[in-house]
Amino acid sequence: MGKIEMILNAKEDFKLGKIQMILGWKKEDESIESIPAFIESVEELEELIYDEYCVNNLSKYLIEEAKNGKKVGIFLKKCDALGMEQMIKDNRILSENIVPYQVECSGMKDFQTGEIFKKCQKCLDESQDKYAEVKEIENMTHDERYDYWMGELSKCIRCNACRNICPACNCETCVFEKKDEDILGKANNESETGFYQIIRAYHVAGRCSDCGECERICPVGIPLGKINKKIIKDIEELYGKEDDDTLSSFNLEDDDTFTEKKGGK
Amino acid sequence: MRRIGVFVCWCGSNIAGTVDVEKVREAVKDMPGVVHSVDYQYMCSEVGQNYLKDAIKEKNLDRIVVASCSPRMHEATFRKAAESAGLNPYLVEIANIREHCSWVHKDKEVGTEKAISLTKAAIAKATLNEELVSGTTQVEKRALVIGGGIAGIQTALDIADAGYLVDIVEQTPSIGGKMAQIDKTFPTLDCSACILTPKMVDAAAHPNITLYTYSEIESVNGFVGNFNVAIKKKPRYVDMDKCTGCGVCIEKCPSKKGKSEFEEGLATRTAIYTPFAQSVPKVPVIDKEQCLKFKTGKCGICSAVCGTKAVKFDQEEEIVNQTYGAIVLATGFDLIKLDNFGEFHNEHPDVITGLEFERLTNAAGPTKGKFVKPSNGERPKKVVFVQCVGSRDKSERGKSYCSKICCMYTAKHAMLIKDKYPDTEVYVFYIDVRTPGKNFDEFHRRAVEEYGVHYIKGMVGKVMPEGEKLMVQAIDSLSGTPLEIDADMVVLASATQAKPDAVALKRKLNISSDLNNFFTEAHPKLKPVETASAGIYLAGACQGPKDIPETVAQASAAAAKAIILLSKKELTNNACVSNVNKNICSGCKACSKMCPYDAISIKMMDIYEHGKVIRKEVAEVNEALCQGCGGCTVSCRPGAIDLRGFTNKQIMAEVDAICL
Ligand code: SF4
Ligand code: SF4
Ligand code: SF4
Ligand code: SF4
Ligand code: SF4
Repeated sequence: MGKIEMILNAKEDFKLGKIQMILGWKKEDESIESIPAFIESVEELEELIYDEYCVNNLSKYLIEEAKNGKKVGIFLKKCDALGMEQMIKDNRILSENIVPYQVECSGMKDFQTGEIFKKCQKCLDESQDKYAEVKEIENMTHDERYDYWMGELSKCIRCNACRNICPACNCETCVFEKKDEDILGKANNESETGFYQIIRAYHVAGRCSDCGECERICPVGIPLGKINKKIIKDIEELYGKEDDDTLSSFNLEDDDTFTEKKGGK
Repeated sequence: MRRIGVFVCWCGSNIAGTVDVEKVREAVKDMPGVVHSVDYQYMCSEVGQNYLKDAIKEKNLDRIVVASCSPRMHEATFRKAAESAGLNPYLVEIANIREHCSWVHKDKEVGTEKAISLTKAAIAKATLNEELVSGTTQVEKRALVIGGGIAGIQTALDIADAGYLVDIVEQTPSIGGKMAQIDKTFPTLDCSACILTPKMVDAAAHPNITLYTYSEIESVNGFVGNFNVAIKKKPRYVDMDKCTGCGVCIEKCPSKKGKSEFEEGLATRTAIYTPFAQSVPKVPVIDKEQCLKFKTGKCGICSAVCGTKAVKFDQEEEIVNQTYGAIVLATGFDLIKLDNFGEFHNEHPDVITGLEFERLTNAAGPTKGKFVKPSNGERPKKVVFVQCVGSRDKSERGKSYCSKICCMYTAKHAMLIKDKYPDTEVYVFYIDVRTPGKNFDEFHRRAVEEYGVHYIKGMVGKVMPEGEKLMVQAIDSLSGTPLEIDADMVVLASATQAKPDAVALKRKLNISSDLNNFFTEAHPKLKPVETASAGIYLAGACQGPKDIPETVAQASAAAAKAIILLSKKELTNNACVSNVNKNICSGCKACSKMCPYDAISIKMMDIYEHGKVIRKEVAEVNEALCQGCGGCTVSCRPGAIDLRGFTNKQIMAEVDAICL
C-alpha cells in the first residue's frame, strides 16, 4: 500500500477512536530532518509526514506508550517491524495494544549529506553478500583482528546511544545501571569499555534484528554492525536460521559439538 | 568488618607436596577481614574440625575459608562443623587447592601461586557470604525402576519388600531381559531360567509392584523426592485385563514369518506373540508391521478365536503420569552389531554370537537344545570360539573397554558342548583370559584341564567359508605358528555396548554418561550406585559391563539407597536457589525458557517502586524445584535474577581478587 494511504488510514483509525496515539514522523522548523512525532490529538494529525528522511526506528517508543493498555498506531518500515516483533517476543509489549502501519521504503537519506545510508544500501541491494565485511575480518590473523577491534572499540565514549536506540536492548533497567554490582565505573578505561562492548554484543546476540541503528547512531563511527553480523552468522551456521531462542533456551536435544577456536593476543 | 578464619589444609602430602601451605597462609593472613589463619595436616580429621570449631568460638569468627580439597569432597563436613559451633553453614567457603593446584601442577612455585590466588578469591567471596536457610519438601513414597531385566526385578523386589510402592517400566512386552535368554549361568552352571522365572513371577505378584511392560519413559520432570514421570504405554492391541494368556490367538495367527527377537532371529514367530513361553505378563502383543489386519485389513482371526474378546485393533498409545520419590535405572546393555567385522563372515549361518549360542543350546530354544549347525541341522564336530570381537579394540569399529563377561561365558559354552558331546573338538582364541571373580579362575581351569578345551593365545585373522566348512586362519602368538582350522561352527564373543537409547534417556533424567554412553556414577568409590542427580540410582550393566552376580549385588545396593530416601519424612532443599529482584525484572521470560527444571514462572504482580504501585509481569522462582544450577542467572540480561550463595557480586569479588 502506498505511503499516503497508510497515513490516511491511520488518521481515520485515530478519528474513529481505534487508536489513542500515533507514532510517526514530522518536521520541525525549517529543517529537512524528519523527527519522531507523538500524535495525541486531531489537530496534530496534519503534522504527519513520510519522506526519505524518516530513518528513525520508532518501535522502541512502544514500550512506554503502549503500557497500561493504550492502543498505539505506529508507522514501521521493513527493518523497524522486525524490532517490534523482537519486543513482542521479549514480552515487553503486547501485540494487541499495537496497530502497525507498514510503509514502503526505498532507502533513507542522511539529511546532512543527502546520501542514502549505508545500512539501507545494503538492505536494498540483494545481490550483495551480506557477510562480505564479516568474512573480511574472519580472514585476518588473530593478532590483526585483535588490533583492528581494539583500535575501533577504544574510540567508544560510552555515550550509551547504541544501547538506547536498539530495539533489542529493551530491559526495564539495563545491567549497567545496577548500582550495587560495580559492573562498570564512570572512568573511561580500555578494560571497562571492552567489557561494555562485549556485554552489549552478547545481550543482543540471537535477538538483534540487524536494523543497523546502533552503527548509524554511534557518534564516533564504530562499526558495531560488524559485530552483530558476525554473531548472526555464527548462530545461523551453528544452529540454523529458524530457531528463535537459540541462546536462551534449555533443550535436551542440543548437542555440544562445538569446535574450539583460539583468539589472538 | 568481618572476622574471617582461614584454614589451609596440607592433605598430608597431597597438597603440601606441591603447594607451600605455609606460604599460602602467610600470603592471606593480612587480607582485610582475616583475623585468624592456620595450616594443618588434615583439616577433615576430627582434630582438624575441632580446630575450626574452637576458633569460631574463641576468636568469634563470622566467616570461614578452608583451603583444601574439592568442595564435592568435604564442603558438607566443614559446613556441619561450623554449624555445630553455632555458625550458619553457608558462611563457609572452600578454596580447592588440591584438585585445582597440587594435582595439576608439578612445579611447587606455580602451584603455590595459584593456591594463593584461589584462597584470596575465596576470602573475597566469603566476605560477601550471607546466612542462608533451606526449606523442606515432602517425599513421594513410590519408586520407579526403569528396565525389567534381572537388575530391575531385583531392585523392585527389594524396595517392595521394604514396604514401598514400585513401578517397573520395561520396553519389551515381557520382563526378564537378557538373563531370560541365557541357558546356564557361570560359574555354577545353574539353569538361568530356573532362577529367574520365580523372581519374575514374584515381581508380577507382589502387591507393591506395578509392571508397565511394552512401555517407555516419555519425560521426567521434578526433582529428588518428587519426580514427575510420564510413561508411554505402547499399544499392545490386546486388552491386558481381559486376556487370559490362553495363547489360542498365537496358535491360529496365519502370519508366522516374523523373526523372534528372543530367539535372536534363529526362529520365527507369529504377528501376535509373547516373546517366550514364560513371559510375564503372559499377555501377547500384536506386531503391527507384520499383522495382516493392519497391513491389508483382512484377517482378524486372533480376535475371532479369542474367547474373552481381548483383541483390540483400535487400542491407542496411553500416557500415564505418576510421581516418584526415587528412580533406579536398570536399562541393561546390548551386543555390538558385527557389520564392520567382515573378516569373520558374520552373515554365514554357522558363524554365530555368544547370545545366539545360548539359544541354540537351550532346551527351550529353537532346536530344543540340540546343538546343531543352523545351516543344515547337522551336529558340529569342530567349534572355534573367538573372544574379544570388538572388545579392547581401540579402532573405530570396536570398543576400547573389556566386556568383562566373554571370557567366562566362552569357557561355559565350551564346557556345555563338551558335556553334551565329548567328542567335539573345541578351540578358544583369546588375547588374555580374565577371570577375576569368586570361583571364576577355577571355572576356566576346569574347561582347560578337565574338559580339554584348546585355548590358543592369538587373534583370528579370517574366517573363510569353504564348502561345508569354515576355514579359520589365525596365529598362535606364543609359538608364532600360523594355524588353519577347518571348523564347523564359529562363535564370536561380540563386545557389549550401552543401549542405543541411553543418550536420550540420560538427557531426560539429567544425568551423565561416559564416552561409551554407559551411565556414570557420582563417585566410583564413595557413591558407586548414585548418579550426580540426587534421587537417581544405577543398577546393572547400564553403568558398564557386568555379570549376573555383580548386577544383582548392585541392584540390591541401589534398592537400599532408594529405601533410605523413601524412608525420610522430608528432604532439606538446596539453600543456594535463585532469587528475583522484581524491580529490575522486565518479565522477558528468558530465565524461564532456560531453566532445565521448570522452576521459573512469570506472574503478574504489583510492584512498589518509589512509592508508586506498578503492575507488571515478573519472574518467580519455585525454590523447591530450583536446583541452583545458575542457568537463569546468565540468561537474565539485566541481571535481575541471582543465585543465593553465588551472587554476581560474589563472583565479581572473586574475579577481582584474582585479577587485580
Ligand atoms: S542492529 Fe543494532 S540497534 Fe538494531 S537491533 Fe541490532 S544491535 Fe540493536
Ligand atoms: S554509540 Fe558508539 S560511542 Fe556511544 S556507547 Fe555505543 S559504541 Fe560507544
Ligand atoms: S489379525 Fe494380525 S495378529 Fe491377529 S491373527 Fe491376523 S495377522 Fe495375526
Ligand atoms: S538456578 Fe535458575 S535455571 Fe537453575 S534451577 Fe534454579 S531457577 Fe532454574
Ligand atoms: S530473564 Fe531476568 S528480566 Fe527476564 S524474566 Fe527472567 S528475571 Fe526477569
